[in-house]
Amino acid sequence: MKCRRVEKLIPLYVEGDLASGKANHLASHLEWCGRCNWLADEYRESQSWLRVSATPEFDQSLLENFKAGVLRRIENDDSKPSLLGAVIQQWTRRQIFALSAAMLMIVGVVVFYIYQTRVNTQPSTKEARQTPEIENVPQPALPQVHGTETTPGAGSMERHFASSRASRKLRTASTVIATRTVELPTQLQPAPIPEDLITGSIETEQPPMLRIEIQTSDPNIRIIWFAPKEVESPKTNQ
Amino acid sequence: MPGEVAEIALMTDSLGLPDSSARTAVSSVASMIERAKAGDPAAFEEMIDCYQRKVITTAWRMVGNREDARDAAQEVFLRVYKYLGGFRADQDFAAWLYRIIINVCRDQMRKRGRPDQFTSFEMEHELGNLDARTSNDDVEASAIRSQQHAMIAQALDTLSKKERAAIVLRDLEGLTTEEVARVLGSTQTTVRSQISSARAKIKKFKDRALAGTRQR
Repeated sequence: MKCRRVEKLIPLYVEGDLASGKANHLASHLEWCGRCNWLADEYRESQSWLRVSATPEFDQSLLENFKAGVLRRIENDDSKPSLLGAVIQQWTRRQIFALSAAMLMIVGVVVFYIYQTRVNTQPSTKEARQTPEIENVPQPALPQVHGTETTPGAGSMERHFASSRASRKLRTASTVIATRTVELPTQLQPAPIPEDLITGSIETEQPPMLRIEIQTSDPNIRIIWFAPKEVESPKTNQ
Repeated sequence: MPGEVAEIALMTDSLGLPDSSARTAVSSVASMIERAKAGDPAAFEEMIDCYQRKVITTAWRMVGNREDARDAAQEVFLRVYKYLGGFRADQDFAAWLYRIIINVCRDQMRKRGRPDQFTSFEMEHELGNLDARTSNDDVEASAIRSQQHAMIAQALDTLSKKERAAIVLRDLEGLTTEEVARVLGSTQTTVRSQISSARAKIKKFKDRALAGTRQR
């Protein structure tokens, strides 16, 4: 073992913190190396100086005051426990864990619900933002459509809801439908709406109608558009 | 149960109870802890009597002055009182207590920034802390001892917090490297490295301080 290595190990050697193999090597080195041996003695002296001097003395009165102080502080703490502390003291660790898990689940469900609501609202609001003038578009006064698909009303819309939803959801759905109603006539425009239908005189003889169904992103909302069918056209036969 | 008794015997050794009381108290310490856990105030007072000297000493070695040590030791017992319910019988009480002491002292040192200067003998005398002692001891001897304490405090101040905790537990409290590692939550290799560095620094400080004294 070289002196340089020994010098590094001496601080551990003097207090027996080295493994026995290493300690033996170092001891054999110290037997013949005077300088390292002197260094080891210096460390031993330093350690004993530390031990002797680092022991404070306490008089009995100090200890008595100390104990009284501790008990007083405990008493004060006990007399005004915090609400949380009181709850924790009453409950076991398992109960606290169960409560925490339940709270976490409730928070998770609430967050999930809010997230879902936002996801459903986002496309309609985006679309509404793209076509802000939609509310100003005049809607034709269409007659009420009664009955099933076989009794259509010309130029009218029909909403089908598979189940009832919250009013907010309904509002969202109506926004989607309103957007579609503006776009579709401009694309299709197979024929002008007959004057008698607009005025509501639907009881008179009806021309054959073209039925167009559009499924929105919401599976519960379907837009159905009826338009007058051209008699000669074989393609409109559906 | 025998394992528990052995652990408690180890605890009383490492916590430095007086020999006579240590022998007789070995069996009663376990019941004392159990009774204190159950909320018996007398048992807790007994516990304070047993460990207060050791707790204050360790805290003093960690924080470097009496006032802070006393505050820290009080906080230690408050935490013991508060968390004793969570202490399991299969745990090492000494390690548990030392961990609390080290944590409290670290918190206190962090709160107060650098540790305060060591209170010298003169200052303590002015504060009235040494009245009982000076009546018995020679004033000169007390002065020398106080000076030595001040030097030790300064030497310990040259160490980092981790080195200080390691050397206080290993060299001054007499724990093994393994126990120190367990208390500090680190590895034995790390503890050895910290101890080696701390011993070298203390020796260096002592050499310099003594050289300065001789020059005067």
